[in-house]
Amino acid sequence: MPLWVPERSQVAPAACLSPSPEAPRALSLFSSSSFLPLPNSQCLVWRTDLLVISLFRMAEQPYTVASDSETTGDDKSQSAFHDLAIGIEVGTSKCSIAVWNGAQVELLRNTRKQKSMRSYVMFKDDTSSGEASSGGASNKTAYEEKEILSGSAIFNMKRLIGRADTDPIVHASKNLPFVVQTLGIGVKPFIAALVNNVWRSTTPEEVLAIFLVELKTMAEVQLKRLIRNVVLTIPVSFNRFQQIRVERACAMAGLHVLRLMPEPTAVALLYAQQQQQQQQQSLHGGMGSGCEKVALIFNMGAGYCDVATTATAGGVSQIKAMQGCTLGGEDILKNVLYHLLPNFDSLYSNRDTNKIRSMGLLRIAAQDAIHRLSTQSSVQINVDLGDGTKMQRVLHQSEFEEVNRNVFEICEKLIKLCLADSKLAAEDINDVILVGGCSRIPKIRSLVLGLCKKEKEYEGMDALEAAVTGAALEGAVASGITDPSGSLDMLTIQATPLSLGIRVHGGGFVPIIQRNTAIPVRKSTIFTTTQDGQTEALIVVYEGDGKMVEENHLMGYFKVTAIPLAPKGTAEISVCMDIDAANTLRVFAGAMMLGTDRANSPFFEVRMPTLDDAHGWCAQALVKTHGSALDLTTIPKELQPQKVQ
Amino acid sequence: MISSSTLAFPTLRIRSPSLPSSSSSSSSSRPSRRLLWPRCATTAVPPPAAAATLYDVLGIPASATVGEVKAAYRRLARVCHPDVAAASRAAPADEFIRVHAAYATLTDPEKRAEYDRRVMAAAASSMASATVGRRPPGPFYSSSPRRMWETDQCW
Repeated sequence: MPLWVPERSQVAPAACLSPSPEAPRALSLFSSSSFLPLPNSQCLVWRTDLLVISLFRMAEQPYTVASDSETTGDDKSQSAFHDLAIGIEVGTSKCSIAVWNGAQVELLRNTRKQKSMRSYVMFKDDTSSGEASSGGASNKTAYEEKEILSGSAIFNMKRLIGRADTDPIVHASKNLPFVVQTLGIGVKPFIAALVNNVWRSTTPEEVLAIFLVELKTMAEVQLKRLIRNVVLTIPVSFNRFQQIRVERACAMAGLHVLRLMPEPTAVALLYAQQQQQQQQQSLHGGMGSGCEKVALIFNMGAGYCDVATTATAGGVSQIKAMQGCTLGGEDILKNVLYHLLPNFDSLYSNRDTNKIRSMGLLRIAAQDAIHRLSTQSSVQINVDLGDGTKMQRVLHQSEFEEVNRNVFEICEKLIKLCLADSKLAAEDINDVILVGGCSRIPKIRSLVLGLCKKEKEYEGMDALEAAVTGAALEGAVASGITDPSGSLDMLTIQATPLSLGIRVHGGGFVPIIQRNTAIPVRKSTIFTTTQDGQTEALIVVYEGDGKMVEENHLMGYFKVTAIPLAPKGTAEISVCMDIDAANTLRVFAGAMMLGTDRANSPFFEVRMPTLDDAHGWCAQALVKTHGSALDLTTIPKELQPQKVQ
Repeated sequence: MISSSTLAFPTLRIRSPSLPSSSSSSSSSRPSRRLLWPRCATTAVPPPAAAATLYDVLGIPASATVGEVKAAYRRLARVCHPDVAAASRAAPADEFIRVHAAYATLTDPEKRAEYDRRVMAAAASSMASATVGRRPPGPFYSSSPRRMWETDQCW
């Protein structure tokens, strides 16, 4: 183990770079873990090594660790695809991995031959290894749904990651079998799993990291190579703060995120490939150009609902608009549970093990009923809740649709918004692509098809595999793999789902990059001071589409200094935002010399988001401490050096 | 004098905070550009003079149809988008941003008309003085001509 000691010493600075307290904890968890079934003794060394590198990478790309090349050098010969990124879709309920195998995308199966694996981490007390865990990808025995719902497993991490305890989604998660505690103060929620009748605390990032380690190990064993780069799919509505948390979980698991891809855009890439292949076969389409096809992609899984429109021709798929929200099977399930048992909350407020068990049994029964309602007009629910109460009743399709009316209304709103954003009418759409588990619900299918005025949905895509397949394609394309038959000859031009901008005087939000702008992109706006002789200004960056900053997500802040002395409204402060192809946001800002377009002093470059926990407080604290002394405001439109809109 | 050829080609590449600032080797008349977006000293970006108008950026005639604009855009995207070009190019993002800006303007009828009126007419009239693409003072910009450096890209 000669490599081990110097690498241990590197762990410290890496962990310091990461402001999250769980990072070092997870480091120790994984570096000491012998539970990973690895093929040879060297593995422990490289695993830690990669972990260190990834943490460095997250902080800033220019850092390189010498041992990086040392460790991967040996493996280079093993496979031409040693750096090929794999595609991972970690869903709220299910997850899957796919990889480009040189000719096509292949979904990996776990030892139980499943391509779609349940997303959860089981916490068990194991004195030998301290914190042994097991997810759906594990080689160990599968846990039954009943056990997963016993309080010992954490699931739905995709709904919890990167959210504060003031978030309504976190509050809605309190009916899950494990503990979700909130204090309502804008910090990370407390979550805990039941181990030996004790609630043991953990964090959503840690749970996701443990789960990703399992997936990584499974893939490494099957592909017989190290996995470092991944393309991970995320919901459209994930803000940059949530994305950072996902990246951090990946870093903890020793994975480098090549791309975080909104799920419908991954589907769009697969669609582009299929269109390309169809055109090549029919030979009708012209070289490269072909006729443009517009598709609406509707993706609804257990946790999130996304809608996107894409224009595809010649293997290039351009995202026109995206809309997303936290709405999915979990909400449908919750509505059904409350319908079956109106006093659900009060019944389960005191969490003893018996109550958790009956809650789990009811959840399973309701879930099963919902699944069966996709093909039947009514279902019989028979469940013994174990505490002497039995539920026997029939649930009709119409009843189901009535209790979930709000869900369908939101779906409808999202689709209309997305169409409006992309300036498309239903008649412009060539194909409607329905993916995700909830797209099997008859009401949702008819709703989407009705809004798009289509009789039939697009065929040729597996609703549960499309996103992960697209992610694997993107992994291959972005890894620089080419395919002689042209199967990888395509591209998705991504767009920003949310606007990015800064706070101005009075708490207004001024977007600099509008939503649905193609990326990579770089835009800038000139702002001016609000005080006479103001020499400093606060740049507070937000993401979102609300008119006021409170409605949006705070990404970070910094101060622009050395503004030349001038009456208010005359100094010029340039704020430029840059998003690269990997979706990294950088903000450049500085003051201009009066009456010139020269910078008064060096500009500031800040990679966003810079915030960690308690970001809810930061905005309030800034206002309390500085008032409006450092505020900026917009300058009249006719003086803006912006495009002619 | 500002020639739009330099404006249309900001050789921008933000790689790391410690970029060498190519101080006085300014071919541009606007030194602040480097300060705004530090330029990489040695980028493999094609020479700025190659494209003076948005049509030149896409390599199409000014009479091109929307379909031709889109086709040219897709063809270029498949070459210069960072996803496909990352391995072989030094500054692909800028090239793509430029191509996309041209596409965004030329596929929007209103913006294209405005652009044609503002820039193309001027380009034609100033041919004699060999300053292709020089921007005439537009209605919005006459009051502050010094801020025009971005308008050419129609962000």
